[in-house]
Amino acid sequence: MKWTNRQFGELEYEPRHEIVFPDGLIGFERNTRFLLVNDDSAKPFLWLVSLEDSDLCFPLIDPQMVRPGYAVTGAGPNATVLNLVALRTPVEDSTVNLRSPVVIGKDPQVGRQLVLDSEQFSFRQPLFSAAAVKG
Amino acid sequence: MLILSRKLDESIRIGDGIVVKIVAIQDGQVKLGIDAPRDVRILRSELYEETQKSNKQAASADRSAALEAARRFAQQPAPDVPAAVKPPARNP
Repeated sequence: MKWTNRQFGELEYEPRHEIVFPDGLIGFERNTRFLLVNDDSAKPFLWLVSLEDSDLCFPLIDPQMVRPGYAVTGAGPNATVLNLVALRTPVEDSTVNLRSPVVIGKDPQVGRQLVLDSEQFSFRQPLFSAAAVKG
Repeated sequence: MLILSRKLDESIRIGDGIVVKIVAIQDGQVKLGIDAPRDVRILRSELYEETQKSNKQAASADRSAALEAARRFAQQPAPDVPAAVKPPARNP
């Protein structure tokens, strides 16, 4: 199957790659079908690409890259946890939303966006550590 | 907006299977108890709005910004991993 996205052009995928978000992402409830795109040229970022809106895609990152030990209770052992990234200019100002993780289950691939109760997780956690930005 | 008055321990029903009950009223705060089907998303409005704003910012990015951030990431030292513990040696 084929789908064209504004950022990535034509993507080829199989039905098993499709991830259904029954409630969509928060603020984007009408978009419920996505692909996870692993862009090798921009590791460690992944993209959640809408299969309904060619303009819509969200960059994500494995939260372990930003907050080692980050865990979402109730996510299930086989679930994939990823967090949305707000990429800004300058790039040092980019942030990760650790408060609202995206959890993707296996068999079937169903995704949800949660909002954690705990205030120890920020909606805007700096993507880069302060020391690294200075260096 | 529909406005209803309720007293302590009174409740309202919304649609099929959602009940909102006034559980406590104290110091200008109202505590609500909510019964709803599992698939109904219930969030404090300000958390919904913060997430919505953050999602919109994420969606506005383009691939070139990710490429630049990826280059920046490559220059950053790997994050600290929580201290690893070794399992005890097995008895023969």
